[in-house]
Amino acid sequence: MLLSAVVVLGVLSSLRFEVPSWPRFLTTGLHRNLALTALVFLALHIVTAVVDPFTHLGWLAAVIPFSSYYRTFWLGLGVIAFELLIAITVTSLVRGVIGHSAWRAIHWLSYGSWPIAVLHGFGTGTDTWSAWMLAIDVVCIAAVVGSVGARLMFTSADPLAADRARFRERVSRKVVK
Amino acid sequence: MTVLSLFAGPPSSAGPESFRDHVKRLGPRPRGNGALIDTLDRSGLVGRGGASFSVGVKWRSVESRSRGAAVVIANGAEGEPLSRKDRTLMSLRPHLVIDGALLASDAVGANRTLLYVGEAHGAAAAAMARALAERPPADRARTTLLGAPPSYVAGEETAAVNFVNSGVAVPQATPPRPFERGVDGRPTLVQNVESLAHAALIARYGDAWFQSLGRHHAAGTILLTVSGAVAKPGVIEVASGCSVDEVLALAGGVSGKARAVLLGGYFGGWISADQAGSMVLDPRGLRAAGGSLGCGVVSVLDETADPLDVSARILQHLANESAAQCGPCFFGLRSLSAATTRIAARHADHGDLPQLHRWTAMVKGRGACRHPDGAVAFLESALKVFEPEFATAAGARGRRAS
Repeated sequence: MLLSAVVVLGVLSSLRFEVPSWPRFLTTGLHRNLALTALVFLALHIVTAVVDPFTHLGWLAAVIPFSSYYRTFWLGLGVIAFELLIAITVTSLVRGVIGHSAWRAIHWLSYGSWPIAVLHGFGTGTDTWSAWMLAIDVVCIAAVVGSVGARLMFTSADPLAADRARFRERVSRKVVK
Repeated sequence: MTVLSLFAGPPSSAGPESFRDHVKRLGPRPRGNGALIDTLDRSGLVGRGGASFSVGVKWRSVESRSRGAAVVIANGAEGEPLSRKDRTLMSLRPHLVIDGALLASDAVGANRTLLYVGEAHGAAAAAMARALAERPPADRARTTLLGAPPSYVAGEETAAVNFVNSGVAVPQATPPRPFERGVDGRPTLVQNVESLAHAALIARYGDAWFQSLGRHHAAGTILLTVSGAVAKPGVIEVASGCSVDEVLALAGGVSGKARAVLLGGYFGGWISADQAGSMVLDPRGLRAAGGSLGCGVVSVLDETADPLDVSARILQHLANESAAQCGPCFFGLRSLSAATTRIAARHADHGDLPQLHRWTAMVKGRGACRHPDGAVAFLESALKVFEPEFATAAGARGRRAS
């Protein structure tokens, strides 16, 4: 649920779906902080799964995809989603060092991580078919699909487009070589 | 007190030095190689475009990546409104700049040398064009003269690189920096023309000679553009390590009584007159102390001028020069400029002065390039040095001073 909220906020922030009077923490700040919170809960999920006395997963199963004896495929998906998230988080923390384009390319992995995590939940979740879990799943999927749809339908409003074009014209080479 | 190094030789009235006179006076261009980079390292020469970064370190960072296919851009865009030293240098000693560019080219392993000269600076561009035409065919074949558009950010190194790549002089997000990936994706050295001219002399006379030109621990000479309330404004060459008082004396002395000195230009900062006088002009020393000589602008504000009005105009210029690529720069500088202008006009809104303090913190470090940071640093110096004036003016709403 947290991850879905992070994805929704991330997608919407590129649409600049905001009002000038909203403080920044509602947009980029909330996206970042929810992501970090989600990671904390994810860490709890992994630790509790590994130390669960009935499954005996072992630590390797938590880091090497498809290495678990137990529900190999569905657990593997979870590991992949987790590792993609780590890559996304780490590159975001060092964005100033690796540059914007490299960060952006890796941030696209979010679109892989989230559906894989959802599949992992469906495949090996203990409460998958209970009404409340289904309700959460439906809400999350609808929110992400809806925001991605909105992102595809509306182009982002760039408040600087006109001024930028004017400036570029001013500093452009006059005669094309 | 004046030490002539770049401007040694014929007087400025003689115009640009010809290639023949240049070679007769200084001898042929020495070899540009790894040993020269070591010499530059030892000489203590730092870049004169504004950042005061070590020239030797910069050249080596390109050389280590070049594989013989690097690019050198001699940066003579000089978009700083108060600076004249680059165009003056190119007008009088074009061959020193070209020598420096070709030496850099040889030393870092470049096969392309670009002379990026402000297209609005007619005399400098003409002198450089004529100088290039006087050069042997081998020099000409590897060198291109390029007009830089008249804008503040056109001389920013990623803007210069982008201008060569795509014809538009706007800054790019870093990394990668030009020394990693610049013109056509190749390692690119972007170096101010004054720095290159110094390098051309260091290559001939050595690092110990360069060190001996400066005072105390400062190295070499510096070109300054002195303007404002002085009897003889203009470009002068002084020993690194001399004081602001000595510089002002060289410029014929202050006319009237000085209130403050703007050091480093629009990206520099105000220093109150009582503190400025004893200040030592040493690019390396100032940088180490967290200050900056910037591009060598020394501009004197006398007591009859309105410091708020002057500061507001400078800020307005910087706001207008935002490339409109990043919101915090474009909108932030516009808001800062508007509030400062209201205060200077003595009809500030109630919250303007506190807003200035709040907004400066929100703009810093939030652009793709350092343009907003430079503008904010300038404003912060104004808020500090002219604190009493700002306080009085911000409270003067409704009572417009005439």
